[in-house]
Amino acid sequence: MTTLTDVQPPAELPAKHRADVATALPPARGQSFPKLVTIELRKSVNTRSGRVLIAAILLIAVAALAWQFTHLPAGDAGFDGFLGAAATGVMLILPVIGVMAMTSEWTQRTALTTFTLSPRRVRVQLAKFVSAVLLSAVVMTAVVALALASTALAGAVTDHAASYAGLGGQLTGAYLTVALNVVMGAAFGAVIPQTAVAILAFFIAPTAWSLAGPALFKDNANYLDVFGALGRIAERDLHGMVPETLTAVAAWIVLPTIVGLWASSRREVK
Amino acid sequence: MITVENLTKRYGSTTAVQDVSFTVEPGSITGFLGPNGAGKSTTLRMLTGLTPPTSGIARITGKRYADLLNPGRVVGVMLDAAAQHPGRTGRETLLLNASLLGVPKGRVEEMLEAVGLSHAAKRRVGQYSLGMRQRLGIASALLGDPAVLILDEPANGMDPEGIRWMRGLLQDFAARGGTVILSSHLLGEVQATVDRLVVIGGGRIVANGSLQELLAGSGTVVRGLDPVGLNQALTAAGLQLEPIADSSLRVDATAEQVGRAAAAAGQILLELRQSDGAGLEDLFFQLTSAPAAAAA
Repeated sequence: MTTLTDVQPPAELPAKHRADVATALPPARGQSFPKLVTIELRKSVNTRSGRVLIAAILLIAVAALAWQFTHLPAGDAGFDGFLGAAATGVMLILPVIGVMAMTSEWTQRTALTTFTLSPRRVRVQLAKFVSAVLLSAVVMTAVVALALASTALAGAVTDHAASYAGLGGQLTGAYLTVALNVVMGAAFGAVIPQTAVAILAFFIAPTAWSLAGPALFKDNANYLDVFGALGRIAERDLHGMVPETLTAVAAWIVLPTIVGLWASSRREVK
Repeated sequence: MITVENLTKRYGSTTAVQDVSFTVEPGSITGFLGPNGAGKSTTLRMLTGLTPPTSGIARITGKRYADLLNPGRVVGVMLDAAAQHPGRTGRETLLLNASLLGVPKGRVEEMLEAVGLSHAAKRRVGQYSLGMRQRLGIASALLGDPAVLILDEPANGMDPEGIRWMRGLLQDFAARGGTVILSSHLLGEVQATVDRLVVIGGGRIVANGSLQELLAGSGTVVRGLDPVGLNQALTAAGLQLEPIADSSLRVDATAEQVGRAAAAAGQILLELRQSDGAGLEDLFFQLTSAPAAAAA
């Protein structure tokens, strides 16, 4: 180089960029699906916003449990009452985490790194879905533990007896519902890559349908009533409405998931 | 080793990139230049599998990007340092990538130190300056010890110390056999760093060659004690020249020819150098303004 700006070799640069370390790194392997899921789990909790959301869920759960504790109805202090109170926060906020798992890659533009490091996008998106479900299970477990503790506490401290009737059924229903809600949130996030719009759509669209649908379509509105469908699944009692339940789930959860996976695979990363 | 063959990208009726072909050899640094909207970023995105080409193929170490086993171990990519999650710490950002790439945590600490971010590693990226984000981006690109680096504006937002550091890092990387392609608008810096140039304008390649070859025609700058006499002496020797600022002359000849012509006429010289100061900028505008008018 014959330029006037020629410099001395930078003395402070550690000579460690290629050959020196090449032998020290383990050989390159493919990215296994479990590894992708682990990474996605990590990504949902290692940001400030992710941690704030989870903290909010737990705080709301604690607040709801405290309220339930101080407003116990007559009779036994039932676990179902505590779980119902605590799970409200979970059902509302956890799907937001699902939405953000999909949308934040586009709004924060980390998609540029994510899809450069892992070009096979469908695998990454599927890993996000799985990780969202796993996260929901973990958070739900924490809430269940809090509800159990509250029930036991109520039995010990107040003059209501603690009751755990129907525990198994309630837990199954709770885990199932929250998992489906989170998957629906993630599906909306996959189709609509903007966080705020996706969250709004998630909260408004199904509600709007359950309000307007019956007025317009009478009983046929049940085919697209996803809240009704999820409610029945939570109770593990479909009331014989199998086709309605399946259609609602297909339309509001399965279809957006498929469309979202397809759309995000082709979306231009800017 | 990067080989690009006839890459084309069309968006509806607009052709962003038209039949682009070039090769980047190992052990060299190639500058990828072009005006905004010329198709540089689109080409780089096709190279890294982010945008599917309409036709043509790009290969890195013989394979398409999407066919590489764990691409980050072969190609280090930094396309936009600002595209990092602000809510994550610097260290966590690198640890995530390290886990994906299958490299040990020690490597993260090494890279943090190599880019000078060890002290800031536990702060959130949202609190970093632009230069710090660039350094983090470079650290991330180098994490998997790749053989190839693809960088878009690596010196963006960096102070002179950072720019010099980056230049040294890239030259060291290439000296050890690495392949580097970088795109930049800092022509002076490009000139100081790269060995080869690929220039794109209006979606097409308008220049592809070694830096020295492409700049060879830019001539010599000379200033003499007696400007008028010098002018006459050089003209008499048949050299093409034009006056430039502060009584210097730019001559379309080698320094030797100018020196001999001046010596033959007994002219005393005060300054004699390659006119590469303005060379790359002039070359750039020559190459990229004409095709812009011709591009459909």
